[in-house]
Amino acid sequence: MSLLDKFAAVKETKNALGCTGQDPTAVVFDTIDTATLGTVNGRKTILAGTNNYLGLTFDPACIAAGVEALETFGSGTTGSRMANGSYAAHIALERELADFYQCPNAGVFSTGYAANLGVLTALLGSGDVVLLDSDAHASLYDGCRMSGADVFRFKHNDVQSLEKRLKRLETRANRCLIVTEGMYSVLGDCAPLAEISELKQRFGVLLLVDEAHSLGVYGEHGRGVAEAQGVLDQVDFTVGTFSKSLGAMGGFCASRHEVLGLFRYVSRPFIFTASPSPSVIATTREALRQLRSRPELRNTLWASARRLYSSLQGLGYELGPEVSPVIAVRFRDRDTALSSWYQLLKSGVYVNLMLPPATPGGASFLRCSVSAAHTDEQISTIIEKFTELKVT
Amino acid sequence: MNSSTESISDQLAELLTQYLKQNWVKSPLSNKLITASTNMVTELQLDSFQVMEYMLEVEDHFDITVDLESLSNIHTIEDLAGVVAAAHQE
Repeated sequence: MSLLDKFAAVKETKNALGCTGQDPTAVVFDTIDTATLGTVNGRKTILAGTNNYLGLTFDPACIAAGVEALETFGSGTTGSRMANGSYAAHIALERELADFYQCPNAGVFSTGYAANLGVLTALLGSGDVVLLDSDAHASLYDGCRMSGADVFRFKHNDVQSLEKRLKRLETRANRCLIVTEGMYSVLGDCAPLAEISELKQRFGVLLLVDEAHSLGVYGEHGRGVAEAQGVLDQVDFTVGTFSKSLGAMGGFCASRHEVLGLFRYVSRPFIFTASPSPSVIATTREALRQLRSRPELRNTLWASARRLYSSLQGLGYELGPEVSPVIAVRFRDRDTALSSWYQLLKSGVYVNLMLPPATPGGASFLRCSVSAAHTDEQISTIIEKFTELKVT
Repeated sequence: MNSSTESISDQLAELLTQYLKQNWVKSPLSNKLITASTNMVTELQLDSFQVMEYMLEVEDHFDITVDLESLSNIHTIEDLAGVVAAAHQE
């Protein structure tokens, strides 16, 4: 078999996905009118699969900040911070993130993926141990593998499974990091961080939590699931992204450990990539200010999430285990999920199609992500279109 | 295959049969006997996620931990039996 032959199977899969008339991996948005409305195939479409939880992508203040940064600092940094230096706004955002998480240190990365790779490869090495939730995001898997540490998985959100593995570590526990997420992005379920923190303390290990989908969504101040469960002070490293609630692009890590400031000297995903552009940093800083000053965004988001969840549940759909802004609708097989996804798209509702092997339990899902910017009318339309799916 | 890995293979085959049943995995071999030489990917058509889920059951059954890196070399029940036997000896 040649190097190129293996793509035959990829092509076959791609062609099968397009059998309904629209390949779900090749959707093109011709216009994006608002945070929750765009145009697909000439049809106005409600965007319910964007992770735009706070709906800030069209916020006038965020856009103004971005435009001003473009005009003042130019379109890009054209290099890495190690080689080309930092812009003042990079440092300011790191200071603001550290303040937000009430810890002395924060670092900014060019993407959320790079943040996980950068932190894990800096922190871990040969001889170290990671205990990783089995449903963790690919970036966490990749970071753990790249680090050279021994990677052991525990069953998703299963505290007993984690405890068993901690016990098996014996003396290796002093070089162990537990890695979880706050809210998991496929089913919208949250990690039992209070119980995991208890284990972390008992066994004397460190804890990293990826709050990519929970930043701005959970906790009194929007800091994430660890804050919501009252254990933020037990988290050694919080990682997250700017590309969801903050409506931009980039990633970060915040920590109470001073060593975070040294990561940039050993973290290849930080050193060998261009730093975030000035406009991205500017919109992120403004979005973070709004996240902190407008708790009503979270209240609106949760009201819409609760309404959509209970309505879909009432229609008899099998949903993820808890109410959250990520609402995963389970389908009995891949073909039904695919045709249902296409029917929703044709009727003007865009959601995410999630197929195995990227899904827990080999199941197929349509994933809705709710935004604070969704109007009541848009939520009603989404419910109506899911109702029509039930009768066809 | 020595008697120790043979016994482990039998247990692994039984665990895999249970996993397929409990997770409603449609597989060409699910109603047939799973043996030491059964290839989990090509014969049972398990995807990578399902193999990893099954591995968690195996770890708990044998009270071992298997490094993620080892999984890429496991194709058959017999391969897995070797990994389990090695983990027991550690």
